[in-house]
Amino acid sequence: MNGLRSFARLLSRRQTAIFYAMVIVASALFLFPPLWMLNTSLRATEDIYRVPPTVLPAKITLENYVYVLTQMQGTRYFLNSVVVTLASVLLVLLASAMGGYAFGARRFRGKELLYMGIVFVLTVPYIMYLIPIYLMEIKLHLRNTWIGLILPYVALNLPWGLLIMRSAFSTIPLEIKDAAVIDGCNEYQLWYRVMLPITRPALAATTIVTFVFVWQEYLFASTLMTKNQWQTLPVGIVWLRDELQTMAYGRVGAMFVLSILPIFILFLLLRNFFIKGLTEGMLKG
Amino acid sequence: MSWLSSRKLQERLSLLVFLLPTLLFVFIFIAFPVLSSGYLSFTEFNYAKDDAPAFVGFSGYMDTILHDTLFHTAIKNQFQFAIPYILITFVVSLGLAILVGELGRGARIFQIIFYLPMIVAMSMAGVAFSWILNQDVGIFNHFLRSIGLASWARNWFGDPATALYGLVVTRSWKMIGFTFIVFLSGVQAIPRSLREAAKVDGANFWQEVRHVVIPLLRPYLLTGGIWIIINSLKVFTLPHMVTQGGPGVATLTLYYYSWKAAFQRYDMGLASQVAYVTAFIILLLSWALNKVLNPESTGRF
Repeated sequence: MNGLRSFARLLSRRQTAIFYAMVIVASALFLFPPLWMLNTSLRATEDIYRVPPTVLPAKITLENYVYVLTQMQGTRYFLNSVVVTLASVLLVLLASAMGGYAFGARRFRGKELLYMGIVFVLTVPYIMYLIPIYLMEIKLHLRNTWIGLILPYVALNLPWGLLIMRSAFSTIPLEIKDAAVIDGCNEYQLWYRVMLPITRPALAATTIVTFVFVWQEYLFASTLMTKNQWQTLPVGIVWLRDELQTMAYGRVGAMFVLSILPIFILFLLLRNFFIKGLTEGMLKG
Repeated sequence: MSWLSSRKLQERLSLLVFLLPTLLFVFIFIAFPVLSSGYLSFTEFNYAKDDAPAFVGFSGYMDTILHDTLFHTAIKNQFQFAIPYILITFVVSLGLAILVGELGRGARIFQIIFYLPMIVAMSMAGVAFSWILNQDVGIFNHFLRSIGLASWARNWFGDPATALYGLVVTRSWKMIGFTFIVFLSGVQAIPRSLREAAKVDGANFWQEVRHVVIPLLRPYLLTGGIWIIINSLKVFTLPHMVTQGGPGVATLTLYYYSWKAAFQRYDMGLASQVAYVTAFIILLLSWALNKVLNPESTGRF
């Protein structure tokens, strides 16, 4: 009996070891592409194109980083990404906090119908918006401007923000509202001073969903921003690769590392928010 | 009385103010474009030479759906892409979720590692994989050569036989993290006692997974599964920047064909028709899947 139990324990310990081994192998495969880009970015060009290739750099150098940041449009791509992302996030926060309040905490005729319409938008593939928005931006001279990218990004993310913010506002008890009205708050003070602070977790989720989307977006950025100096990072890296052809992978690697770094740091700091916010945002809000 | 009515008026007015930004963005950048591309899909409109769209009714759709061989290729490629992509993404994320769910120490680190590609932009993933799978100096071919499989080494994204599957692997790598997290939260929600009971009854790990874990995961599997299926049809970035739809037309997907029609051939009618047919397939599929399988999910991108 005792022998059987210790045999079972041995078996389960062996099983756990096998699980760990499998998960570690899978992790190595998952981590390999970014780590290989990092590895490449730290090498001199002749070291990268050695035949046969070597696994470790002959000598670690930062010359690719220096080149990308000083000789290329690297900092420009970075600036474009930062400006477009921050502006989109702020506008989505503002618009969805306002709209979410109207849909979640107010009553008006046609509310359900209008809300259903906006939620339906979530299922519409983005390819349907692209051509008319492109034609519209030509007419309004919005191509190759920050605002020309920010406005569509806000529109695409707003329904998600509304979904998240509406459910946050709708859970605030009515007594809070009544108390504030009795204290003499007008509608805007009620929204800004009383309700908004309560929805802080929802605002954080909206921020993350929008940030991650905009920082990675490619379809609209590559179509609407036709000039190199207006490219964001995800499109800029492709320009970098094409412009310099096969000699560029050290620089491409440096660009890769630099563009992932900010969102990676944010991710490590706020990982629970990230995983929860993104998962909920992408499924239902 | 007058105080009351002015209060009411103010309330009405404030409602309008709160709704205004939403309405403006939704109407200008969503409702108008949807209607506008709907109209364009019934016209002939070459942006490079025509001044205005010419209405042609359904004949444009007929031409595209019945006679456009590139469109047929795009549909074929799309499904050839979707099937392995759906299988790989689903099976790997489920397997990883079950394994990580078993681990005590370190489970969080693995959770972060498998989720990590979700924060890497698709085009960055494309750049990384085209470097790793490079024909002459790519590390993967080097690896194959060094273990004696030199005949397997090839230009993965340049060979019509493998290009599409290269994109499948790249996109799966990036997207697995999402369904992994969905499935893992399902695994962690299963009461410990149920699994202990299965063990006491003498079930081995595989039986426990099959008879306890999978049935209880059903709602999560449905939600994640539908998400993967819908996403398998929205493929633009990788064909655009890794293979340009090629070699030949080997990686021409529906999204990319619509984009190519609009921005390389300036054929806005054709592009809108392809976009609408794609959207129709996606909406029909998500409606049908939700109807049949039922959970609450929507697709994105």
